[in-house]
Formats: sequence, C-alpha cells, structure tokens
Amino acid sequence: MKLTTRLHPNNVEPTLSSIISLSGVTKLYSGFRALDDVSLEIESGITGLLGPNGSGKSTLIKSLLGLVRNQQGTGTVLNLQWPNQVREIRDRVGYLPEDDCYIAGLTGIEAVAFMANLSGLPKTEGLRRAHEITDFCDIGEEKYRSVEAYSTGMRQKLKFAQALVHDPPFLILDEPTTGLDPDQREAMLRRIRTLARDHGKSILLSTHILPDVKAVCDQVVILARGKVRVFDSIKNLSKPAEPTLNVMVYGDKDAFLSELTEEGYTVTTKADGALKIIGISTDQVSSIWEIAASTGTSIRRLAPAQNSLEEIFFQAVSASEPR
Amino acid sequence: MPVHDLGYRNWGGKRNHHLIRPLFVARSGITLIWRRRMLKLLLLVAWLPIAIPAIGIFCFEQGLTDESYRRFIVQTLRGPMERPDLAMQMLEDPVSIRHEVWSALILGFFRVPQLYSMVLLIGLIAPLLISYDLRSKAYLQYFSRPLSTNEYIVGKSAVIWFFLGMITTLPGLVVYLLGVLLSPELSVVSTTWDIPLRILMASVALIIPTTALAISYSACTVENRYASFAWFATWIMGSVAYQILTNIPRMGRGRRNAIDVDTERWLLVSPYHTLGKVETWIFGLDTGESSVWPAVFILIAISVIGTLFVRSRLIARLSV
Repeated sequence: MKLTTRLHPNNVEPTLSSIISLSGVTKLYSGFRALDDVSLEIESGITGLLGPNGSGKSTLIKSLLGLVRNQQGTGTVLNLQWPNQVREIRDRVGYLPEDDCYIAGLTGIEAVAFMANLSGLPKTEGLRRAHEITDFCDIGEEKYRSVEAYSTGMRQKLKFAQALVHDPPFLILDEPTTGLDPDQREAMLRRIRTLARDHGKSILLSTHILPDVKAVCDQVVILARGKVRVFDSIKNLSKPAEPTLNVMVYGDKDAFLSELTEEGYTVTTKADGALKIIGISTDQVSSIWEIAASTGTSIRRLAPAQNSLEEIFFQAVSASEPR
Repeated sequence: MPVHDLGYRNWGGKRNHHLIRPLFVARSGITLIWRRRMLKLLLLVAWLPIAIPAIGIFCFEQGLTDESYRRFIVQTLRGPMERPDLAMQMLEDPVSIRHEVWSALILGFFRVPQLYSMVLLIGLIAPLLISYDLRSKAYLQYFSRPLSTNEYIVGKSAVIWFFLGMITTLPGLVVYLLGVLLSPELSVVSTTWDIPLRILMASVALIIPTTALAISYSACTVENRYASFAWFATWIMGSVAYQILTNIPRMGRGRRNAIDVDTERWLLVSPYHTLGKVETWIFGLDTGESSVWPAVFILIAISVIGTLFVRSRLIARLSV
C-alpha cells in the first residue's frame, strides 16, 4: 500500500523516494520461516514496526543491515541496492540494537567516539561529535564512566548516541525505550520526534510498546509469524471500516438503546459502558439527540469512534494464528 | 545538562577512507590493553633482557683489541652459546666472525627471553580481543558500521602486532643500534648492515603465525580463559612432546651415541622449535641438516588457516 508523503514542519522536506523498498524477503532458521515473503515500501517519516515476540522484527532489521543472511529477497534501502550494497547502507544508517551489546572497558564517550571513527569521522571530529551527541542524549557526566558500570537505561541512551553520532539520514531503533523510566522514556520519544520533524530523519522504530508507536509514528507495519499483516498510516488505520460514534449517556440507557435498535442502528456496548453506534455518519447526529430527548436520557459525550492501535494489533496477530 | 545545550546538529564533514577504519579498531584495542597495569609491567620486564646481547656485542668489539674480553667471549661461545667453531675463529681471526657473533647474540635474544615474553603477553591479551566481543555482542556494534570482517580481523590482529613489535622488533633493533654505538668504530655497519633486515624478517616470521593462532583461539569461544588455556597448552605441550620424542631415543642408545639422534625430525610438533628453526635460518645460522621449508610451510599454514578460521567464525555469527 502506498502511503502519502507527509510534510514536516520547519520546511525540512522529506525525500519523495522510498526509504525502504523490499520484495519477497524470506529468512529461514533451520526450516522455520522467520520472514516469509516480506514486501514493504516505507517512505520517510517515523515508521513503527510492531509484532509479538518471534514475529520477525529483529530479523527484518538485521537483514536490512546484512547482519543475517537471507535466502531470498531484493530491494533498495536509501536508494542503494539491497543486499548487494549492504556496506554502503550501513554507512548511512544508524542502528540501535535490541541486544545489550557494548565494547568492554571503554568509557561512554570513548564508545561513542569509537563508533564515529568506525563510520569514517576523523579522530578529533569524532570526539567532538561524540561530546555533542552525548549531551543531546542527556548522558551527562556519566559519559566518563566505563560502560560496564552503566544501568540498562544508560546503556539504551548510549546505544542511541552511538546510532546517531555519524548523523545518518535513516535510524533503525530496535526497542529504544526498553529499560527507561517514564521520564526518560518520554525524553527518548521527544528526541525521536525532534530528529524526524526538525532534522528530516527517517526512523524505523521497532517496539512492543504500543503507546510509543502511537506517540511518535506516522505509519505502522505489523509483522506476525514472519508476514506483514498490516501496513498503513496510523491515520488510515484509526478510521473504522464504517462511520461509528461513541456515545456516553446518563439516565435510562436501556430505553435509549432499544430506541436506537428500533430505528435500525447497530449498537454495541463497550467495556467502559459507552455505546458504540455503527454505521452512522456525523450528519445523522441530530437523530441521536432526538432519540435521547424522547427517552429522557442525556448525552454526556458523543464523538466519532477510532480504532485503537491495540485493537488493530490484536486483530492482526489473532488473524495470523493457526486455527 | 551541559551549560550550552546545542541540541541536535547535523554533521556534514568529510569521512575517512574505509581502509583507515581498521586502524581505529586497532587503536581502541591497544588503548584498552594499555590500561592494564600487569601488561605494562610485563612490557617493562620484556625489555630488560636487551642488556644481555648489548653487553655481548660490546665485549666482542672490545675483545678485538683487549685480551681479557677476548677470553670471556671465547668461553661464552664454547659454553652457553654452544658454538666451539666460532670460539676457534675468535682466537684466529675475530673480525671475520663479527656478523655471525652479532647475529647469534640477537637470535639468542629472540629465541629465549623474547619468545617466552611473547607467549606470556599474547596469552594475556589475545583472548580479550575477539572472545570478549563475542560475549558482549560487541560484534553487532562493529558490523552495523561499514566494516568488513577482513578489516575487523586486521584491526584486531594489529593490536597483537603492535605489542609483539614492542617486545621483539623494537628491542632487537635497539640492540643492533646499541651494538653499533658501543663499537670502537662505525665501520662495523659495513659488515652488519643486513642484521636489521633479518630482525624485521624474524619478527614477521614470529608475529604473523602466532597472531593468527592466538586470534583463532580467541574466536573459538566466548570464554577468554578457555582461549588462554588453549594458547598456553599449545606451547607447553608442543615443547614437552618435542623433548620426549627427542630424549627417549637418546636414553635408549646411551649417552655415547646421543649425537646420532635426529633432533630435527620432531621439531614440527613444537611451535617453539618450529619458530626457532625458521628464525635461525633467517639469521643465517642454521647448521641443521634438515630443510627449513617444512617449518616455513607449517608457519604459513598456521597463518592462513588461523585467519580463515577466524573469518569463518565471524561470518557464521552474521549468517545465522
């Protein structure tokens, strides 16, 4: 599905071409299909990569970077041929791995500067840039401590700094908020938003945490059992298949409900007690008010319903389960 | 929070060529190892034996004009250095054996103190290089950058090359320089000019295969102590096996026939003696009857197979 290109504030224009375009990517682990004919076309912006454990998210990310070898599949990443130009791709991608990986013995600032040097930044420039990025990532004076002594949250921030130090146009973040406290998590999401909105970076955000995706992502890919189950913008996904209203009433709810049913509306009751009226557009709202008046109930809240990301996720995952 | 929070700023400078990147891998490894006090001490101790060949060369040069020094050199050549032929020539025409004596002294320096230092030094540092990266999954950090497996191997090997150069090549060259400076006249250079080249060649013969062997052990396991154990076991067991294989026939034939035992037949079982054969040949002092080429072939095979093994281990990690 082709997504519309979003415009960013501050006149940073996204590229019109795809960041990732994959076709038929298949990865087998001893016969098990970790990725099964995955085809994607992701454009600039922040893309959430969702899926239950073992759905193939990390395998897809490692495939993009050539850290695992795929049996099938071709495509482009940042207009570079994948997998033939994987080294050039690594040059232009910042990767935050899910694994707790670090170079033992280095201090935080050395670890970031080292990654800068490996990405081609000259020695002094790499160190200067490492200081700048560790400040941006709020690592503070901890950067002078050995990474082995870092907490999980600090290591996440350090990995984020390492991913960012060479100023890549595309970031792949695998579970970036894992191990962060609520404040730090919010700060991390703010940084991600800043990078995408103000600096034109494209970001692939793999996570289990649905509120994180809702907070920052423009589009979402849901993987389950190695296949792409859902791929669309959050805006499109949030729209229900039929126009639907959520109504919260005060008074005789049963009378209001039976009157709606008599009028031919399909109504369900949600867990929080609100009524979900399916197949009603906003221009038919006046009839709802009239029914409420006739049944002596008052409407406390009335709003167009949206699919929640949780619903979308669970539907996609349950549809992939073998029966 | 820094005093001046600059926020995020884009970077658009010129990047280094990718061939330079292994140097950063090497520099990082050297920096990490340099922080270990034990290794600094070992490096210091490894330089102390430099005095032995330097004093030997000084005594030899003095012995050309001074009878007491000459007697000392003759006794040394007959005794510890086991070269009675040179001792005879020292009495007849000492200038003609200058090259051989200098080479023998420097070779002795390479063969005994520096080889032991090398075994100890590599045993302490090499397992830290790749097995640590495998255990801490740091290889994901390396290979998410535009770094090939070959560049990674070169970078890691360069750490060992650096430290081995520090305890073999550099002191060897310093010994030569000291020898020249302690000689009565600088004309000695005209007869010994090739010794620095031989030192470099002997260093290469020592450094390349031992590094390949050490990093292949390091790549075998995520437990660096196993890699250390395998490294020391290779040297100790090899030497023990060589001693047993060469001494048992001697004991069987009795002391009178000991000279008939072919000690070179079994030297390939011991890395120490294989290296010794090649280094002796490089310094032009090989008096053995057997060819040096099997030993050279073994060292080349260790270098190639060791490097290919490391490469395959890394690729296997990235090709799961």
